[in-house]
Amino acid sequence: MAENAVIDLRGSKVNIWRAGKGEPVLFLHGLQGRNGHEPGLDELAKSFEVIAPDHPGFGRSENVDGVDDINDLSLFYLDLMDALKLERVHVVGQCIGGWLALEMAIYWGQRFKSLSLVNSAGIRVKDVPRGDLFVCSEEDMIRMLFAGNGGVEWMKSIRGEGELEDIYERNRAAAAKYSWSPRLCNPKLDRWLHRVNAPVHIVWGEENRVLPPAYGEALKKLIPGASHATIANCAHLAHIEQPQKFAQEISQFIRRTGS
Amino acid sequence: MKVFTFHLMPYANLDMNFMEKHRAAWVVLPNTYYDPKVGHELYNRYLDELELAAELGFDGISVNEHHQNAYGLMPSPVVTAAALARRTKTAKLAILGNAFGLREHPLNLAEEHSMIDNITGGRLISGMVRGIGAEYFSTGNNPAFSHARFQEAHDLVVQAWTRPGPFSFEGKFYHFEYVNTWPRPYQQPHPPIWAPSTGSTETIEWAAHPSRKYTYLQAYSPTQSVMRFLNYYRECAERMYGYTASSDQIGWSTPVYISDTDQKARDEAKPHIEVLFNRLLRLPFEMLFPPGYLSPKSLANMRSHKRSVSGQEHTVDSLIEAGIIVCGSPDTVRRQFTETHRMLGFQNLLCLMQFGTLPRDLTERNIRLFASEVLPALQGLTDKQYAGMQTKAAE
Repeated sequence: MAENAVIDLRGSKVNIWRAGKGEPVLFLHGLQGRNGHEPGLDELAKSFEVIAPDHPGFGRSENVDGVDDINDLSLFYLDLMDALKLERVHVVGQCIGGWLALEMAIYWGQRFKSLSLVNSAGIRVKDVPRGDLFVCSEEDMIRMLFAGNGGVEWMKSIRGEGELEDIYERNRAAAAKYSWSPRLCNPKLDRWLHRVNAPVHIVWGEENRVLPPAYGEALKKLIPGASHATIANCAHLAHIEQPQKFAQEISQFIRRTGS
Repeated sequence: MKVFTFHLMPYANLDMNFMEKHRAAWVVLPNTYYDPKVGHELYNRYLDELELAAELGFDGISVNEHHQNAYGLMPSPVVTAAALARRTKTAKLAILGNAFGLREHPLNLAEEHSMIDNITGGRLISGMVRGIGAEYFSTGNNPAFSHARFQEAHDLVVQAWTRPGPFSFEGKFYHFEYVNTWPRPYQQPHPPIWAPSTGSTETIEWAAHPSRKYTYLQAYSPTQSVMRFLNYYRECAERMYGYTASSDQIGWSTPVYISDTDQKARDEAKPHIEVLFNRLLRLPFEMLFPPGYLSPKSLANMRSHKRSVSGQEHTVDSLIEAGIIVCGSPDTVRRQFTETHRMLGFQNLLCLMQFGTLPRDLTERNIRLFASEVLPALQGLTDKQYAGMQTKAAE
C-alpha cells in the first residue's frame, strides 16, 4: 500500500510517498515533480520499499528558506537521509533528481549503495541542444516529454482545478528555482564525476528530446565503471512512459550490485 | 496633470508574417529579421518624435527597457535617455523603467542614472521594474527570485544614491565591499522613482508603502482594470498604511491617436494599432509568465486579467470599446481623458503617440494635434476636477 506522510525536518514540512516492502530505494524526482501518476514507482514497489520525497517547493513539501539551488538541496537531502535513518541506500534519480544525486555522490559516495541515473540532468554536452520545457507550450511540452501518445492523458491527470493545479504551478516554480540558470546543469560538475565511487547505472529514453541520448553517453564516459542502457519508445519520463522497463532496469541493476 | 509621451521604438519594418513561423516577436524571433540600415533610420526618427513632443510642451518624454524582441528596440533605455538629455531643455526624462534586478551589477545602472540626472540638472525620473517575464528568458535571470532580487536591487540603488560612501552592502544577491557612487544624483535625496506595471497587487502594495510613495503607472489595460488598480493604490495607502495617497502617486499609460474625426482616427489607426496588439505584443502565456515569476495569488488574478490584453485578437474597435486605447477626434480624446480623470484623479498621464507600424507623417500629426488641442486642457486638471473615490477596488 502506498502512503503519503508529511514529516517535520528541522522545522520544514516534507511530504514523502512510500510504497512496497524490502530493500529501501530513495527516488529523487525530476522537473515535473511527482503527481501521483508514476506507474514506474508502483512497479518498483513490487520489489523494494520506494521512498519518494517531494523536494522543497515541489508538491506538498514547503519551500525551505535558504534552499535555493542544487547544492543547498543536496545538503538538505543529507539531513533528510539522516532523519530517515538511511545510512546507505539505493538511489534512483530522474532528470534533476539525477543531477541532485550526482552532486551528493561526488562528496558522499559512501552513502549510496547504488545510483541509477534515469534521463539525468547535471552536465552540459557541447553542441547538443537541450529542449526547453519552460518556454514551450503545453502541446510542445507533451511532444517533448513523450515518445508515444501517452502524454495527453498524463497531462490531463496532473492538471485541473484546486489543489491539483496549485501543485502543477508549484512544481513549475520550484523547477525554475533549482534549474533555470545554468539550465539543468552545473557547468563544473563534469570536472568531479570521477569521484563517484558508488555503482552507477545510466538509463536513457532513446527518444529523449529534453536531454538527448548524447547526455547519457557523456555521463557514461565521465563516471568510472558506469553501465548504460537505453529504452526504446521512450522519451524523458521513463517511469511514466515505460514503467515495466524502467523498473526492470533498476531492479536488475540493484541485484547485480549484490544487495 | 503632468502629461508625458513615451515611445516603444518598435521594429516597424518587421515582416508581419513572422507568426506563421515563430511563436512571438520576443525571445525566439531570429535577429536575422532585423536590418541595421532600417534600424538606423528608425532610431533617429523615433528620437525626433520624442524631441518634437518635448518642444511642443509635453511635461516629459519617456523611454523603457525590453530585450531581444521586435516590439521595442531598447535593451538599454539609458542609451536613449542619454541621447535625449542634451537635445531637450526642460522636459523630464522618464526611464520607465529600468530593470535593475536583471543586472548582475545594478550599481553601474545607478551610476548611469546619476550621470543623466547630473547632465540634465535634475530632469530624470527613474522607473524601476522587474522586467516582463520574457526578459527572464532573454537574460538568463531566474524568475523564481524575481521579486526578491528586484527589491534587493532597489534597496542597493537607493542606498547608493542617498548614503554617504563608502559603505559595504551585504545582500542575498548582491555583495559590494565599496559602495561609493560618483557622481551622486543631482536631485536630492534621489531622482523620483516610479513603478510601472500591468497590474500586480504586490507591486502596488510595495510602491504605496509610506517609506516609498512611488508613483504607480497602470499600462495597457482596459478601463475596468485601470480603475481597479489605481483605486487599489489609494485604498492600500488608506487602509494598509493609514495615509491618504496624493494623486501625483498614480498614473495611467495608454496609446493615443487623434485625427480630424472619430471615424478618420479609427480608420487611420486601425492597421497600425492592430499590429501592435495582435503581432508585436502577442506573447504566449509561458513566455509572459515564466514559472515563479508571479506569486500564486497574482497568477490567479493575472490568468483572468491578462487574457483580455494579450490572449485574443483585437480590433481597433474592441480596443477603443474596452478603453485600452484612446482614439478619436480632438474633442473625443479630450473628453475621454477629462472624464477618466474625473473618476480616477491620476495626476500623471503617459501617451503612446507612435505604435506598431504608424508611419512618420501620421505620428507627427498625432503629436501636433494632441499638443495643440488636448494637452493644454489636461495640464490644467487638478484634484478640483477629481470626483473622489467612487468605486471600491476589487481586491
